[in-house]
Amino acid sequence: MHNSNDKRTCGDALGEPSLIAVTGLAKDYRVYDKPEGLLASVTGLFHRTSRLVEALKGVSLTVGRGEFVALLGPNGAGKTTFLKLLSGIITPTRGTARVLGHVPWERADDFRRRFALVMGQRNQLWWDLPAAESFRLHKEIYRIDTPRFERTRDELVDLLGVRPLLLQPVRELSLGERMKLELVAALLHEPEVLFLDEPTIGLDVVAQHTLHTFLSHVQTERQMTVVLTTHYMKDVAALCERVVVITHGDILYDGSLGDIVDRFTTHKIVTLDLDDTPSHERMAGFGFPYEIRGPQVILRIDRARIADVLPDILRSQSVRDVSVEDVPLEEIVAELFRSGESPATARFAEALP
Amino acid sequence: MKRYASIFATFARACLVRDMTFRVNFLLECVTSIGWMSMNLAFYLLIFTFTPEIGLHTGWTREPFFAFVATGLIINSIVQALFMPSAEELTEMVRSGGLDGVLVQPLDAQFLLSMHRVDFSAFANGFIGIGLLAWAIVRMDATPTPLAWLLYPLLIVCGVAILYSLVIMLAAATILMGRNQSLYDFWFYLTNFSRYPAEIYAGPWGSPLRTLCTFVIPILLVVNVPARVIAMPLEGQAVGMVLAPMIAAAASLALSRVVFLAAISRYRSASS
Amino acid sequence: MTNPATGARPGSVALPSKVPMEAAVDTRPPHRSCRDRFAVGHGLRTWWTMLAICLEERLVYRGDFALGTLMRFLPIVTQLFLWTAVFNATNQTDIAGYSRNDMVAYYLLTMVTRAFSSMPGLAGGISRSVRDGSVKKYLVQPVDYLSYLLAARIAHKLVYYAVAILPFAVVFFVFRSYFPPLPAAATVLAFTVSLALSFLLGFFMEATLGMLGFWFLEVSSIVFAYMLVQYLLSGHMFPLDMLNGIASGIPGISVGNLVGWLPFEYTAYFPAAIWLGKIRGNDLVRKLAIEAAWTIAMAILCRIAWNRGTRRYSAFGG
Repeated sequence: MHNSNDKRTCGDALGEPSLIAVTGLAKDYRVYDKPEGLLASVTGLFHRTSRLVEALKGVSLTVGRGEFVALLGPNGAGKTTFLKLLSGIITPTRGTARVLGHVPWERADDFRRRFALVMGQRNQLWWDLPAAESFRLHKEIYRIDTPRFERTRDELVDLLGVRPLLLQPVRELSLGERMKLELVAALLHEPEVLFLDEPTIGLDVVAQHTLHTFLSHVQTERQMTVVLTTHYMKDVAALCERVVVITHGDILYDGSLGDIVDRFTTHKIVTLDLDDTPSHERMAGFGFPYEIRGPQVILRIDRARIADVLPDILRSQSVRDVSVEDVPLEEIVAELFRSGESPATARFAEALP
Repeated sequence: MKRYASIFATFARACLVRDMTFRVNFLLECVTSIGWMSMNLAFYLLIFTFTPEIGLHTGWTREPFFAFVATGLIINSIVQALFMPSAEELTEMVRSGGLDGVLVQPLDAQFLLSMHRVDFSAFANGFIGIGLLAWAIVRMDATPTPLAWLLYPLLIVCGVAILYSLVIMLAAATILMGRNQSLYDFWFYLTNFSRYPAEIYAGPWGSPLRTLCTFVIPILLVVNVPARVIAMPLEGQAVGMVLAPMIAAAASLALSRVVFLAAISRYRSASS
Repeated sequence: MTNPATGARPGSVALPSKVPMEAAVDTRPPHRSCRDRFAVGHGLRTWWTMLAICLEERLVYRGDFALGTLMRFLPIVTQLFLWTAVFNATNQTDIAGYSRNDMVAYYLLTMVTRAFSSMPGLAGGISRSVRDGSVKKYLVQPVDYLSYLLAARIAHKLVYYAVAILPFAVVFFVFRSYFPPLPAAATVLAFTVSLALSFLLGFFMEATLGMLGFWFLEVSSIVFAYMLVQYLLSGHMFPLDMLNGIASGIPGISVGNLVGWLPFEYTAYFPAAIWLGKIRGNDLVRKLAIEAAWTIAMAILCRIAWNRGTRRYSAFGG
């Protein structure tokens, strides 16, 4: 597993500045409380209470060219706010950011021509028109010259196999088909930086897989920098080397996906197929028995002990089949999110060397 | 500039394609807006069965008054066709976060937000307005001078510009407030003042209102000045009257730009 | 819930499981009445909850509300100035029986009647909920959609009045000299009844229109056409008495007479004309009867449209 920190240092050494450099970026929102109950609503006509919500508490981060970064975090953690700040949609309360050398919220045309933002839940294509029309508009807006436009469009369209859909009104397409066309639109101007906000939300497994293959292909080909938010660990496993975990508006972890697994999996899951049904006590001697169903046993075993325990099991039991697996990624990350919730827990980021 | 023109052409083309996909709806919209207009015309005809003139010695007898109404129709149809559909959609765009997508595009946000939709059916009223104007001018006692014919289109452009600035300021309010369903109502009520000749705003209540709607919110300059130029002989004080909408148009365009940029920089974006 | 006499839940005691519930309940009158009472109490509570929730929802958007109420007076101001100018230019002292003061009072009174009878967004809301499928919610939940809509609308109106009463009071105070002296108690009563009926009539007309969404994909054009006709024929634009002098082509009957048989004028003109004493005696009683008849007819039509529409909807799967 490639370590992103190494990559970054390497990039700096070559004199190439980070494509995205963020320091102390914070965004506060004033939220008006909606009082419960009828009476309170009436008094609310004359007096409203508000409080300050820190959507982002001061995030610092650098991303180098060609990196594929996943932003993970529970709902409301500040991922989308972060992406909106980086794409210049909103202005921060504090902090600085440079994307492609520009301050995003100044919204220079030169900056906006060089990146793209795709939001899984929102539609950029004209609803009642065929996607080809939206592409043509895109060509005008991004000032893409005709040969380049046609070449890029044909290439992307063929990669995703959506050529037959180009002349159909977008409203008649399925969610997956629409998402593919959204991606084509976003990549037409060959952005150097791509922000993806939950691009696979609501898609079926096949469509997800298609998008994964497509994205990783285009990313490698173009050496594009991609920042992605998602709730699906499949996206992360398929696409991203670097993972940034955000909870409560703060970075909790920044490192490679492999590191997360290494550092935060304390146990392995061992599944045994035995000849007979073992007793609970017998199994508890090896590790924590998750489940004993007949001769099938699932054990959770300390990672440090696995090398000692496994031969023991094989020697003392009559084992028909055995498999050793990591704790599922979802569980690790869920654990990571939870750890961010209690302030007593030391921040993982600080615990890292 | 050329790029913006070609992007606008693309927008217009796309809207036309869309309108032609829903042809029946398009026709219905034409018919209803013509229906609304004819109803108003019927009302004015009804009024003129009871009186020879709107306001004593104002000169707004039947034909000049209908020239006034026609001017209003032309100006409003331009605004309704070019700017209102986009502005109406803005509320929804702010609510659903569609505005985010606009802000990331390398294009002036004000241009994109105020002109990405064209409602071709709204031009129907404009054509009726031109017909009505011709009818009124033919039947009027005085015929417009060549100067009047020269000034008329220019003043119509000024009127459109003033209304456009208002649309932009309302759009800015929508962006700031997050949602504003009364946008369209507000627009309707405000422009309502420009529907009749300024002379009707007289008396202790009317005069201050007339001053307010001429100099502060220059809504009374929108239709009144071009209509007066085309329907009545130009007199001595005409220079000031003709210059006023031009100055007002320039000033309100500038102000609306400032307000719009301020609103965009305070945009919160829908949470998701 | 529990029957105090038996300590058991009504309808569930010692019933042979094969007997259908309704039949069983029918044979036990005491239980049935108990259930009915409960049902009524329950219905009222649901209704009150619906009303309260709608009120809350409306109050959230107070900014829109205050602004909207203020704006609503602007067209009337223009109209007042227009009529003042017309009266200045004509040598008549009255137009179609209305003096200048009457005319001002008339427009202000139609504002009141429109505040009762206009139903902004009702038809559009219903047809939209049909189109986007959110009407399913009401087919699944044990709530009558029409009752819910009515509750929501009453809540909407109550909040509107709460906010609007102040600007209304100010305007009416400013223009008090334009009004005739306070009419007799009977006239005020007739005015109140006509207002209440105009609310119901307006509600059922618009709701029925919205139900067309079950049959037509796009009803916004129909709604707009309705609004046009409504605006012209309700008397919102001008006192309908102005149409009395216009021949309809049928001998002895004016356009004004014909309009009187349509439901529209009861949503704006009628209450205002009652207050101004333009309609009295037998005419008043006859017109009140027509208004009531239209209201009932529209309520029935609306119910039929809902029943047919939902049947069609579930048959074709929306």
